[in-house]
Parts: sequence; C-alpha cells; structure tokens
Amino acid sequence: MSAPTAAPAADDVTSPQRVTGTALGALVVLGLAAATRFLQSAVPELTAGTAFGGFAEAVEYPVYAIILGFAANALLSGANVRDRLAGAFKTELFIKTGLVLLGSTVLFSVIVSAAGPAIVQALLVVTTVFGFTWWLGGRLGLDDRLRALLSSAVSICGVSAAIAAAGAVEAKREQLVYTAGLVILFAVPSIFLLPFLVERLGLSAEVAGAWIGGNIDTTAAVVASGAIVGEGALQIATIVKSAQNVLMGVVAVALTAWFAFKVDRSAAVDKPSLRTLWDRFPKFVLGFLVASVVATVAATSAPEASAEGLATARALRDWFLIAVFTSIGLEFRLGSLKDAGIRPVGVFAAATVVNLLVGLVLAVLLFGGFSLDGV
Amino acid sequence: MASQRPRLTTPAAVEPATTEVTATPRRARRLSEDWVATILGLSLLALALVGAIPAGLVP
Repeated sequence: MSAPTAAPAADDVTSPQRVTGTALGALVVLGLAAATRFLQSAVPELTAGTAFGGFAEAVEYPVYAIILGFAANALLSGANVRDRLAGAFKTELFIKTGLVLLGSTVLFSVIVSAAGPAIVQALLVVTTVFGFTWWLGGRLGLDDRLRALLSSAVSICGVSAAIAAAGAVEAKREQLVYTAGLVILFAVPSIFLLPFLVERLGLSAEVAGAWIGGNIDTTAAVVASGAIVGEGALQIATIVKSAQNVLMGVVAVALTAWFAFKVDRSAAVDKPSLRTLWDRFPKFVLGFLVASVVATVAATSAPEASAEGLATARALRDWFLIAVFTSIGLEFRLGSLKDAGIRPVGVFAAATVVNLLVGLVLAVLLFGGFSLDGV
Repeated sequence: MASQRPRLTTPAAVEPATTEVTATPRRARRLSEDWVATILGLSLLALALVGAIPAGLVP
C-alpha cells in the first residue's frame, strides 16, 4: 500500500489553483493589452474631425493601458478574484523585458552621446535628493531605517532601491511596505503630470526625457511618461533612468557600511563588498546595451534586410510596455498606504518637489544643447 | 536573524536588480528575474531579426 501523498499547499506556485489562476491572469493582461492597442488606433480614427479629435490624437497607449488596468482591478477586486489571478501581474518582468527590447530602438551612438550627461545628472540628482530627504527625515524624527528607505526610493529608483536599502539596513517589513505604497502614490500621477508640465514649459524632447528619467521614481512610470511625450523623450528618459538605476548598487553598499559601522554595530551584518555591488546591479541594463549594439549593427550593415525584424522588435516592445501599464493598474492597492502616517508622506512629498526642481535645472543645463538629430 | 528580514510581497512598481530583500542574499539556485528578462528580450530580438517571428504576427 503506497503512502498517501500530501495535497500541494495553497500557496505552492505549482499547485493547480495557482497555475490556473496565473494562466487566467495572463489572459486578462493579454486581453487588456489587445484592448489598449485597439483603442490606440480606433479612438483617433473615430474622433477625427471632431472637437475631441485633437486630444484623442495626443493620447498615447500608456493612458489607455493604465485606465483599463484600474478598471479591471476594480472589477476583479469586486468579484473577489483579483488575488487569485495576481501571479500573472508580473510588472517587473514585463518592464525589464520591454526595456531590453527598447534597446533595439535606440542607436548605440545615442547611448554613447547621452551617457556622459546622463551619468552626471544621475550623480547630482541622487546626491542632492538623497541628502535632502535624509536631512528632512531626521528633522521630523523618522527612524533611521525608514529615512534610508525613503531617501533611496525617492532619489534613485522607487521600490527596488527601497528593497536594496531595506536589506542593507535591516529595515522592518512594515517600513518597506509604507515606502512601496508611497512610491506608487506619487509615481502614478507623475506619469501624467510631467508631460503636462513639459508642454506648458515648452521643453525640448531631449530635456523632457532627461527631466522625466531623473525625476519619476519607478522605471515603468518613467517609460509611460516618456512615451506620452514622444519617442525622443522616451529614449533619453530610458538612458537617464538606467544611469540612475546603476547607482543603486553603490548606495546599497554605502548604506550597509554606514549602518554596520556607525548606526548598528552588528557583527551579523555583512561587510559591503564588490559582490554586493554586482548583486544590486540591474542586469537588464546589460541586455538594453546589447540589444542596442545588435540593432545598430543590423541597421547600418543591412538596413533593408533588418527593417522588418526591427519593426517587429519595436512592436514586441510596445506590447510588453502595455502589459507593464495594465499590470500597474491591476496591482494598485490603496490599503498599504493607510498605515503610512503623515510624517513619511510629508517627507516624501517634499523630496519629490525638490527632485522636480533639481531635476529640471540639471536637465536644462546638461541636455539643453543635446539633439538626437545630431547623433 | 534571517527570519527578521523583510520580504517584499507588495505589488507594483517596477524596478531593476533583484527582488531579494535579505541583507545576506543566498546564492540563487535559479535565474534571477533580471537575467530571465534579459534572455527573453534578446531572444525575441534575435527571432525577430532572423524572421522567425513573421512581420504581421505582432500588431
């Protein structure tokens, strides 16, 4: 008589329920992406010649995708099935893959030309905003660990930077949840606010991209906002954001050292090392660079033969990015913000304003004379 | 000490690097999400360039 086998745990990723839920969730994401693609072309056609026509022409796919994501979130949450499908809402995987494919649409010469000012901007923005947030958090009496999370999140790249900092300083889970909630709360409106301000201020695509890339906290929101402004802004925003993301490893190492040797002299904390730097390095940036090199070589050595393939890669990029924006809408939760308290919100808000102003000044100074046409 | 490490399960926001929250990350026994995305993206690009993904297939 064979021994009875235990039923798989409900949270086991290979359990039938999880697999079915994830598969259905993937269909939801795919369906919403298809609906976005449809609206992207149908709405301008249907409204051409009407008073709404001009506005419809300017609405880019991130807008439709996020709105559809929010709507689906409300429907699925109301039906109490959202969590069962959430395994497919892979925002991080979609954005990383989309960014690798985005590399194929950026000439390597653009990356080389923009890298210098992008790195300088990233260093200055991260230093200034991290320092301001750390100082203000201290003045308002926030816990040192929460200060580290907020400073990293607002100055570098949102939740991942907060995660890296949380590991470095041994933060509490609740502090990480607060920070993640604040990042989303401020990032989503920024997607639409910055393109609006770009138009009001009459910024060039290059300066707009640099401002967006150096300002908005999450990579997905940077891509969404850049896409709303235009292709040129999207390219520059991606390069600037990538430069900023790379600094996350450096900051994680610095925080580890600070907390280990100054704040919390615990022998259990790992000493910072090059391994830590490599662990925190955003590997998909390498994919972005390789894709750019491959596409540049293909486009310059065999332009006719590679044109169709590069167009397909661009379409794939758009689908992955649309999936990102719908997943942002699907995953959004207000609940995590309820326990945040007012002081961290105040610090984050003030830091965001400083980031906006510092980022704008640096974008104008470093990218004011930069032109994609000349590259 | 490892049990006190915060683990992220909150959704959204998108970002680079690992999703490990521990201060002492274990050696990964499987590919990280960063590498999965990199391999997936470059594979799709390669398939598109060699024509394995037909032009009209991706609207």
